[in-house]
Amino acid sequence: MSAGPYNYSYIFKYIIIGDMGVGKSCLLHQFTEKKFMADCPHTIGVEFGTRIIEVAGQKIKLQIWDTAGQERFRAVTRSYYRGAAGALMVYDVTRRSTYNHLSSWLTDARNLTNPNTVIFLIGNKGDLDAQRDVTYEEAQQFAEENGLMFVEASAKTGENVEEAFLETAKKIYQNIQDGSLDLNAAESGVQHKPNGGQAGAGGRATLNNSSAGQTRENCSC
Amino acid sequence: MFHVPVMDLEELVKHKLLPGHKLIAAVQAGLVQEFVKRDRALALIEGFEAADVSAHLDIIAANKRSGAVPAVEVERAVLVLCSTAEFLPSSPSQFFIESVLPIDARFKYTIDGLEISHRSYALTDGNQSAILLSLSSSRHQLLFEMTFSQKTNIFVSEVMKAAEGVSKRKAPTPEFTWLKPYLNNSASSGSSKPSAAGDHNQNSQQIFTIEGGSPCLVADLIGMSPEGADGGSQTVNSDGGAGGDNFIETGRDVVANRASPSHKGGLGGSLAAEDEADLLRVKDITLDNFALNQSTFYKPAVMPVLAGARESHVQHMMAQRQGSYTHALPLTVFVGTWNVNGVPPSIGLIEWLAVDPEPPDVYALGFQELDLATEAYIFQASNREPEWRAAVLSSLHPAARYVEVKLVRLVGMLLMVLVQEKHAKHVSRVQACTVPTGIMNMLGNKGGVSVSLELYNTSVCFVNCHLAAHVEEYERRNEDYDCICEKTVFVGPSGLQRYIRDHSHIYFFGDMNYRISASPEVNIRKLASAGQYETLLKLDQLNQQRRIGRVFKGYSEGPINFQPTFKYDKDTDSWDSSEKQRQPAWCDRILWAGEGIEQRIYRVHMALKISDHKPVSASFSSQVKVIDQAKYRRVHEEVMKQLDKMENEFLPSVSLSKSEVVLSPVHFLELQSETITISNTGQFPVQFSFIKKLNDEECCKPWLKIHPKSAFIPPGGDCVVRLDVKVDKSSAWVLASGAEQLYDILVLHLDGGKDYFITITGDYVRSCFGSSINALVHLNKPFCEVPVAQLIDLESSAPQKTLELPYAIPKELWYLVDHLHSHALSTEGLFTRPGLSKELCEIRAALDAGMPSRELGVSVHSIAQALLVFLEALPEPVVPCSLYPAALRAAAEGYLPAKQVVSQMPDYHRNVFTYLMAFLNELLVHRHENKLDASTLGSL
Repeated sequence: MSAGPYNYSYIFKYIIIGDMGVGKSCLLHQFTEKKFMADCPHTIGVEFGTRIIEVAGQKIKLQIWDTAGQERFRAVTRSYYRGAAGALMVYDVTRRSTYNHLSSWLTDARNLTNPNTVIFLIGNKGDLDAQRDVTYEEAQQFAEENGLMFVEASAKTGENVEEAFLETAKKIYQNIQDGSLDLNAAESGVQHKPNGGQAGAGGRATLNNSSAGQTRENCSC
Repeated sequence: MFHVPVMDLEELVKHKLLPGHKLIAAVQAGLVQEFVKRDRALALIEGFEAADVSAHLDIIAANKRSGAVPAVEVERAVLVLCSTAEFLPSSPSQFFIESVLPIDARFKYTIDGLEISHRSYALTDGNQSAILLSLSSSRHQLLFEMTFSQKTNIFVSEVMKAAEGVSKRKAPTPEFTWLKPYLNNSASSGSSKPSAAGDHNQNSQQIFTIEGGSPCLVADLIGMSPEGADGGSQTVNSDGGAGGDNFIETGRDVVANRASPSHKGGLGGSLAAEDEADLLRVKDITLDNFALNQSTFYKPAVMPVLAGARESHVQHMMAQRQGSYTHALPLTVFVGTWNVNGVPPSIGLIEWLAVDPEPPDVYALGFQELDLATEAYIFQASNREPEWRAAVLSSLHPAARYVEVKLVRLVGMLLMVLVQEKHAKHVSRVQACTVPTGIMNMLGNKGGVSVSLELYNTSVCFVNCHLAAHVEEYERRNEDYDCICEKTVFVGPSGLQRYIRDHSHIYFFGDMNYRISASPEVNIRKLASAGQYETLLKLDQLNQQRRIGRVFKGYSEGPINFQPTFKYDKDTDSWDSSEKQRQPAWCDRILWAGEGIEQRIYRVHMALKISDHKPVSASFSSQVKVIDQAKYRRVHEEVMKQLDKMENEFLPSVSLSKSEVVLSPVHFLELQSETITISNTGQFPVQFSFIKKLNDEECCKPWLKIHPKSAFIPPGGDCVVRLDVKVDKSSAWVLASGAEQLYDILVLHLDGGKDYFITITGDYVRSCFGSSINALVHLNKPFCEVPVAQLIDLESSAPQKTLELPYAIPKELWYLVDHLHSHALSTEGLFTRPGLSKELCEIRAALDAGMPSRELGVSVHSIAQALLVFLEALPEPVVPCSLYPAALRAAAEGYLPAKQVVSQMPDYHRNVFTYLMAFLNELLVHRHENKLDASTLGSL
């Protein structure tokens, strides 16, 4: 993974997951464009954004996949988890239901990504303190219990958005440095394409099988 | 890229040329401005000064006879042409000259290789190499991206040749008067803005704005210091260029591809792909004819800057924004030169080096004939060097502390560069070079010694030279100068080569030995002594050679108002009294080149008399660039951010006419079609495909057919995707049993971009077709009147609602068989002739409605086929799967085993089997009429 003639050394694939309307696309937009996108339509599909950042002097290209949050797409968006180096799991601090669903999102993230995938919990809409429905403390506790990194952010004001993406990258980079993230595995993940040019290769068979069952189930809902 | 056959392009350019001017090479290129790339054509043309026209024609005529090489030196220039047509320009009127870059001394080029692996390049599909060619003249600085091809190779090497020719040229500085008509042309065409073709709708607007925008860009570039763009790019020498492929970097960007490379593997061609090959690849993509034509010649007005080229573009843009993060710092540069005629430093040098009130920031001191001892030629060491070095160090300006940056000596030529201590940490990339031009260009009695360094953020070069002696040898001196310019190369750690001319600030000095040309009516000594320098300076050979443009092109020299520096009797101020009686001359000179250099003082130091030359010095106020690191980072970040933003904005995007398809009730075997229009709303060609979801075999459910599954859409174009829904025997039973619903999410993937989900929902109207025997026998009313819940219940393994007295066989089966039995026992071709699909639907509807099929006016063949379909659509065949192998064995073994198998069948299945067998038997009875035989029926 040498930089070659290009000005980045690594590509990290991120996914953004969470309930519908928690502001996943807005976070992505704020991170890539430094702008708040008001009246953002529901994502029907998977949006894609990139940005080059710097961690410890290394240029890293982030490829961010922003998934549709609607429940009916859940089965399909599961296709996109694989090979993610970082997963940003988003809830809306003003809607408790989005927080309550975190464990289900977390299950998906744990099941469908590799064990070293850094999962970062983001409580979005932190600017709407008056309408707060989920306290910082309980989310903090949830994050601690599940070993997640956590921050409250606001895609509207931009607060902590940069931090969430960068901290995730730092953690991934750290994992590479201390050897806990196998670069080869990560690389195959980066190269992964949801239409599965190389699906079912080697050690992934079990993962495929388990998720196959889930896909079926959810298709019939 | 628009693909114009090369002949066409050349023909078009030729139309733009004036008579007598020749087109050398033409090539298409993308002009990179800021973040976008626009299509241009580049043409290398050849012409000559108007005054030479007649001479040139004469010579050409003469050459035709003799075959000799023309003596008149032609000049070359690069024309940048812009097309107003969206597609291939078809007439010269659609083509105008945007800018003209004469290949003169100020012309510079750099080349970078890059590899395109950006997935939005659907047109070329796959990796394709390109080169970045940066051209700069006194007025323009332009960056072009060119696909790698033979044409490009020819063009680039011709440009290199031309540039090299200029640097070697001995004739006067080219004036390029012959280019003037083109310059006017480009100005007028630019302002009058030819109207863009109206029928080529979507891009005319963009081209229009680009035309408007170009002049601004040129304005931005004017006055930019030339070193801006080539700061980091590599200067390619002529070998590399002429050699062809080898200047392309061939590193593959595996990580840059978002998708697995296997996807592209088959299509990714060789690096040196010809344009034709690119065209062929386009055809690999599923396209309708219209799209193919569009794509082949489609010329997007704006192309994204490619990911692989980022670094070059960042450098380019940073260079363009230089003003916003640098400021100028004026430094005093003291340049001294002295031919010491081999004497030791018996005196102090303060009267040469420290006569100004303020201490200079930089000293560059050149000595010639430092050591005339024979040993100095043979051995590296010289006793004189440390002596003179010590003398210099002890005579520097007392008001400041200096550190020696570099000392370089070649025989008698010594160059010392010193800077004030406070600047020492801002001096970097210090390199030295020596070039001998003495006997055989091998011996160092003549030549040049140079030091190259980075002073703050300005590249500076000091050259101390000693050129050939003797009055009449000025041509030798010219050649020595050429030789020093050509051979002085500083090679950096990364292999980067820098010539003298590649520096922003150049100080060229030394004993140049140019004399005052002898003239019978001029008494040189008398005029020199009397201080009447004007006449003498006109006869000064250096001035003469510079006037005709033979040497020191682009250099300046301050006015000389001091007496000749040569030749004096030692320890005196009197002219040479030896036998030779050498005439006085200004042998010792100081010239400079570069922006922001102002000479304050140019003088001779008469007080130092130990040599036959007097020392000369010049003091400059030189503006060096200082990068404000904080500002630089800010600008750099801004540039990066903009690039990121562009990259995101340039991702392909489409709009869908609907993202949700709701089907009207779907009946068994009834085709229903829906369409979705995919419109390319982005600025780039889009390649889309419906992709498989994780672990799915196909991109959609078996009851759905998508056409096309992938296609190419040009910007502004549409593609209508047809979705055909048809539930047939293979999918009917899963839907009937409730195991699956008529629901699917399609993933529409854009190559290099995002994915869209398309939801398809519909209600499947259950039918007796696709229902199980067990369920059907429990239905005593027409199928369509049975509630769905009951159907699902009956299909389940343990149905709750069953009839007390179920039918022996499904009544629908009875209807069909009875119909055939009553009407068709004697029909020829029964079961072998196909029925009509329309009638099949009618039969299906009738059966579901409980209406006897005999009341339908349908053909018996359709009824026969309906029977077959009915049997095939059964979730569990009449002979259950579990008994199938046994049944096959039994068929071969005879009656008893067969009977045993039949007895093992579930009740209703056995009933159906027996019933069908009876019917088939009946058919065979009538075999003479219906021409059926046992084997045909057996195969059914």
